[in-house]
Amino acid sequence: MRAAWIVAAVVGTLALGAPALVAAQAGDANAAKALYELKCVGCHGQKGDGKGPAAELLSPPPRDFTSGIYKIRTTAGKAPSDQDLFRVITDGMPGTSMPSWAVLPEKERWNLVAYVKAFAADKFKEPTKKADLPKEVASSTESIKRGKEMFEAIECNKCHGTEGRADGPSRPELKDEWGHPIAPANLTKRWNFRGGASRTDIATRLTVGVLGTPMPTFIDSVEKPEDIWHLTNYIMSLGPDSPHYATLVSVTAVTDAIPEDPNADFWKKLTPNNIPLMGQVIIDPRNFNPSIDLVSVRAVYNDKEIAFHLTWDDPSQSAADPARKLFADAISLQFPPQPSSGPERPYFLMGDSSDAVYLLRWENGKGVTESTANGPTKIAAIQGAEATGKAVYANGQYRLVMRRPLVSKSETRPTFTPAVFMPVAFQAWDGGAGESGPKMSLTSWYYLRLEEPQSSRRFVIPPVVAILTLAVMLLVVRVANRRA
Amino acid sequence: MRKVIGVLLAIALVTGVALVANRPGPAGAQGGGTIEATVTYAGAPVVEKLKVNKDTEKCGTEATIEKVVVGANKGLANAVVSVPGAKGGAPKTVKNVVDQHGCKFVPHVSAMMPGEMDLKNSDDILHNIHTYSTANPSINKAQPKFKKVMAEKFDKPEMIKLTCDVHSWMLGWVAVMPNPFFGVTGADGITKIENVPPGKYTVEAWHETLGKQSKEIEVKAGQATKVAIEMKK
Repeated sequence: MRAAWIVAAVVGTLALGAPALVAAQAGDANAAKALYELKCVGCHGQKGDGKGPAAELLSPPPRDFTSGIYKIRTTAGKAPSDQDLFRVITDGMPGTSMPSWAVLPEKERWNLVAYVKAFAADKFKEPTKKADLPKEVASSTESIKRGKEMFEAIECNKCHGTEGRADGPSRPELKDEWGHPIAPANLTKRWNFRGGASRTDIATRLTVGVLGTPMPTFIDSVEKPEDIWHLTNYIMSLGPDSPHYATLVSVTAVTDAIPEDPNADFWKKLTPNNIPLMGQVIIDPRNFNPSIDLVSVRAVYNDKEIAFHLTWDDPSQSAADPARKLFADAISLQFPPQPSSGPERPYFLMGDSSDAVYLLRWENGKGVTESTANGPTKIAAIQGAEATGKAVYANGQYRLVMRRPLVSKSETRPTFTPAVFMPVAFQAWDGGAGESGPKMSLTSWYYLRLEEPQSSRRFVIPPVVAILTLAVMLLVVRVANRRA
Repeated sequence: MRKVIGVLLAIALVTGVALVANRPGPAGAQGGGTIEATVTYAGAPVVEKLKVNKDTEKCGTEATIEKVVVGANKGLANAVVSVPGAKGGAPKTVKNVVDQHGCKFVPHVSAMMPGEMDLKNSDDILHNIHTYSTANPSINKAQPKFKKVMAEKFDKPEMIKLTCDVHSWMLGWVAVMPNPFFGVTGADGITKIENVPPGKYTVEAWHETLGKQSKEIEVKAGQATKVAIEMKK
């Protein structure tokens, strides 16, 4: 009897440890009606047609359950399995408005699976069959090399771009089966992959495609079936597994001159501070679907200057073109005009009428400028610009260096002092996506800290201490020996 | 008297033969008639042009989307003419082939009986075959440059839209027809349907943007029946 309990406990623990193994439960659609109407109608609508009141603000739009077409599936046929639907409800869809509903009891999530299936019951008549994946190939230098060859041969770049940053030439034309514009995945940010970022997830998407979108199936379109795994290994080599967001921007002290070329090796040696950006949704025009979601900051200073090296993905390089409703790509760093000793900071959304902020901004076509802002629409250029910089754009990515004297005598510009926590915020605009003015991506206040210069004493003192300690020890040993 | 009887007999024989031949019989039989359909459209042609930003060596710098192609004498090209009510007939033995050539589906409209067809890629660049269909399972398959031919099966009669997401202007149609009595109009708006069993039928013309029109006709053995169908908006 006791043994049976232990077995049951072990089995239970195993099941909990591996959510993928959770057996499908027959959900009760009727039991989920109230829950659906409480949690899901806002986006997916009463009729399940994806036309809830919030739908028009969302991109990608909410699923139309009546179509029976689902993006994420692991099945050979068109219909997803119950587990596929359960997983999306449980984990949500990264990079979209679909959140994780893991807070709901498991039974209720299975009931919701049954409820959404009922909107297109005829599509779920036949039992689903899991798609077979080719025999797995572990990642290796050779596999990644083969994956790159295949990536080029099958022209993934047409949508996903040469380096995978979703900047391919077909990107502006892409539409889903409902005619909504749809963006290809940025393969360097796989934490945003809608159906998950594991090896199996990626190989499955390549094998069966993403239904209702331009992403086709590739299982019949690679030279050998195992190329699916080589492609998977290559895609996984294109970016990190997670953005490893920074909580503080550290500015490294250097003694040499700071290069203005954003592609200089100097910058590659520095660790990036990755900062997440959100859409500005406080004032009109709001940006519910921001294009730029991350900026990597590398910052250095020497005895004269401070310089910021910013890297961010933007699928198109755009300059101002009012006729086509296109605006210039831009990015800015925001600081209080003067560092204050207390916790008080200006309003993070570009200041307000009582407290201004200082903006160090780069704009495509205009270069680097300095200005004072009392809100997103009240920006005044500071006379006698002291900042310079240089930007390069390649394969869906901007790299920018902005530099400025460390010390400022004016009241409108801050002076940067080592070891002091200085508030900093970021704003970015993808002009090609129609972003300009208040329609932007932004952060709230972060802190920036200039690391204190490390003196060469650290190379001298520890060896001296070590030698002295050794000398004392030898002395003690000798004295002890003599006494003996 | 004998002469008269001879003449009467001859008349009777001819009539009899004619009567027999007039009975709807298995198609492909010698007794079938031909339908010569002329599809016309009085409106203006609709051809959209689009600037091409990629693969210009293969696609050219300007893509044309031929939505309504009108030739001489108002002849409407790319209309599918069919005889839905006709029975029998030998299945078509020629496999339907659509080529992706110059970033266009060639032919723009093709028709076939349920079964397999070949999709060729003679462009040496990536295309993806993305079909929009309801009766047949929809397809979205990549066809990279090294996949010169891909065979696809369409088992149910239906008008299937072909698209390519890589080149959004590419558009084609495959008409899967229940019987072998169909044709697609050429630049002059004319198509011929042969070996149609004699009888009274409704002839249908379908066009991707102008919809459907139909006309009643009678097909006679060994004769060509002309039918003119005018498409309206």
